Amino acid sequence: MAFESPNITAIAVEATEFPDLARRYRVSAVPKTVVNGEGEILGALPPDAFIQQVIDLTRATPEQPERQP
Amino acid sequence: MGLISAPDQQRLRDAFAEMTRSVRLVFFTQTLGCDTCAEAKRILDELPPLSDRITIEEVNFVLDADKVKQYGIDRVPSIALVGHDESGDHESRIRFAGAPSGYEFSALIHAVLLVGGRPSSLSAAQRQQLASLERPVVLQVFSTPT
Repeated sequence: MAFESPNITAIAVEATEFPDLARRYRVSAVPKTVVNGEGEILGALPPDAFIQQVIDLTRATPEQPERQP
Repeated sequence: MGLISAPDQQRLRDAFAEMTRSVRLVFFTQTLGCDTCAEAKRILDELPPLSDRITIEEVNFVLDADKVKQYGIDRVPSIALVGHDESGDHESRIRFAGAPSGYEFSALIHAVLLVGGRPSSLSAAQRQQLASLERPVVLQVFSTPT
C-alpha cells in the first residue's frame, strides 16, 4: 500500500524486539496495525476491508507531526 | 555457513532475476547497545550475492543524523527500501524495524520484489480506493518472527 500511495509510510515492526512499542500500543496479538499512532486494526483483513479501515482511521486520527507538509 | 539453504537461495535468485529496478536496502545500525543489529546484518548480507540488483547501504544510526532524519528512523536495526532506475532513486516509504528473521524475512523479500518492479497485488479498484487517502498516514504493522 505504501508502494501505491505516496501518502502512506509502512513500517513492519518486530514486536518482540521492541517491547517499548509493543507496550505503548498494547500489542497482545499479531498482526496488529497501528494507524498514525492511534487507530488500531487487529488481525489480517482482506485487502478491501483493510484499505477502508486505514482510510476511516486516518480521518479519525491526528496527523503525524513529522510528516506534516 | 549461510542462513539460507541452497534450494531457497536458488528460489530467491530466480525471483530476483525478474526485477526491473535496483533496490537499495538502507540499513541503520549501531555498534553498541543493539542486540539484534548483528543478526540483521547477517541476514541482509545474504541477499546481494543472489542478485546484482540488490545492494546494502549501511548507515550508522549514531553518527549519520542526516540520513536518520531523512528516512525518519527512530530505532535500530531498521531498514528502508529505496528503488533505483534510470530516472533516479524512488523512496518506497517501506520500512522494517527489527531483524528481518522468520516471518519478517518473507515480508522483506516480498517488499524487495515489489520495489524491484513486480506488479502489486492490488486491483485497480483498490488503488482507486487508496487514492482517496488525502493526508499522510503511518502504518506500524506489528508481527513476531513465528
